[in-house]
Amino acid sequence: MRNLFFVSALAFLAACGSGNKPDEQAFLESLDSAAVEGPEISEEVISSVLQQIPSPLEISVLLKESGTKYDKQLLNSPDNISKYNSNYHKALNLGIYGTDLGYTNIYEQNQDGLDYMGSIKDLADGLSIGQFFDIETIGRLATNSKNLDSLLLITTQNFNSINQYLQEQGRANLSVLLLAGGWIEAMHITCEVAASDPSNKELQETIGSQKIILENIVLLLSFYQQVDQNMASLLTDMQVLQTEYENIEIVTTYEESTFEIVDGVMVIKDNSSSEIKITDQNIENIKNLIGSVRNKIIS
Amino acid sequence: MKKAIYPLVVVGMLMAFSFQVNAQCDSEPYTSGCIPKLASGFNFLKSYKIDGQGGTKTKVEYSYVFTKGTQYMINVCATGESTDGIVVSLFDSNRNKVVSSKVNDQYISAIAYPCNTTGIYYIQYTFDESTQFCGGSALGFKR
Repeated sequence: MRNLFFVSALAFLAACGSGNKPDEQAFLESLDSAAVEGPEISEEVISSVLQQIPSPLEISVLLKESGTKYDKQLLNSPDNISKYNSNYHKALNLGIYGTDLGYTNIYEQNQDGLDYMGSIKDLADGLSIGQFFDIETIGRLATNSKNLDSLLLITTQNFNSINQYLQEQGRANLSVLLLAGGWIEAMHITCEVAASDPSNKELQETIGSQKIILENIVLLLSFYQQVDQNMASLLTDMQVLQTEYENIEIVTTYEESTFEIVDGVMVIKDNSSSEIKITDQNIENIKNLIGSVRNKIIS
Repeated sequence: MKKAIYPLVVVGMLMAFSFQVNAQCDSEPYTSGCIPKLASGFNFLKSYKIDGQGGTKTKVEYSYVFTKGTQYMINVCATGESTDGIVVSLFDSNRNKVVSSKVNDQYISAIAYPCNTTGIYYIQYTFDESTQFCGGSALGFKR
């Protein structure tokens, strides 16, 4: 019955055109928040899966370390913020802008970073989580490249605090969207770079290894498919991507690890190994699928 | 009779309250103190609270996807300079133990793991003759 109501309401909205009139926006927002009553699965389980998802910053560092040049065109313009009116789009694009901010920070593109920070703060305010961003401190740190470590630290801490807060407030659905958005953007950047440089096998392997993270994201979205139509739709898109990932094989060989103590730090020697079997065609297909999902989110 | 029981009830409540206070763990100073102790070149990823709830909890576990080609560092902070008997163990996705930070009765406060196999890893904290059952930990990475 409720689904029928949503379909009717959406059909009514579609018939009225796509302009962002205030009443329509308010209705969309109320629909957006009303849609999520909470999944049947416990918040503890959701939190345990959420915590596993790696930071997109890892991929930005990989790109820089592999000699890839900074390319602003790969990112979602901070000016697109006016397009994001529902909580669903705000949370997803907050994740996307978070990845873009990390990318600009790693490449020390401070002015671009500040533009993203402005949009991030606005989106976060719209989701009532703006209190976690101290824009003055971040702005001050961004003026000097010597502050890069502090800038990365404070922005990572801000996003960690947001995720923790959302889960404590029973709004883990937004945390799922935030992390999914961040992952999609990191994948988009990586796939674009990998497709333009097929000789970079490390990037190809990184894309292949995302199969494990995609499984987590699909699992998280599946918890909400009965209670949130937007998340159910995103889940469908991610499942198509997962089908493509079924063509990629990860072969792991286990060997017991060894260690030595160096300057008081236990340094492990990982004797296990893994091989990721991925082709140029797989990369192209994943790039296109990610591009299509991302376009739906940022447009 | 009632007069005799009343002080006992009050003392009992005070003792229970006192135990609860002792058992409380404010791990925040330990987690924030642990971040700057990540070795040079490591970028901060996550901080983890280690709350053994006064000894009633035997282990605290978190998990994270480690990526091949990336080096991770996990450090442990507790009261003073020591780890207060907190042991960190790392397990791979098949629950094979990768390492434990207790070696020859010594507690190592930091482990570095250059990862060769992408997968979910379990970071488990246990308490070995701990006095506070309370600490914090930071996870960092570098390429």
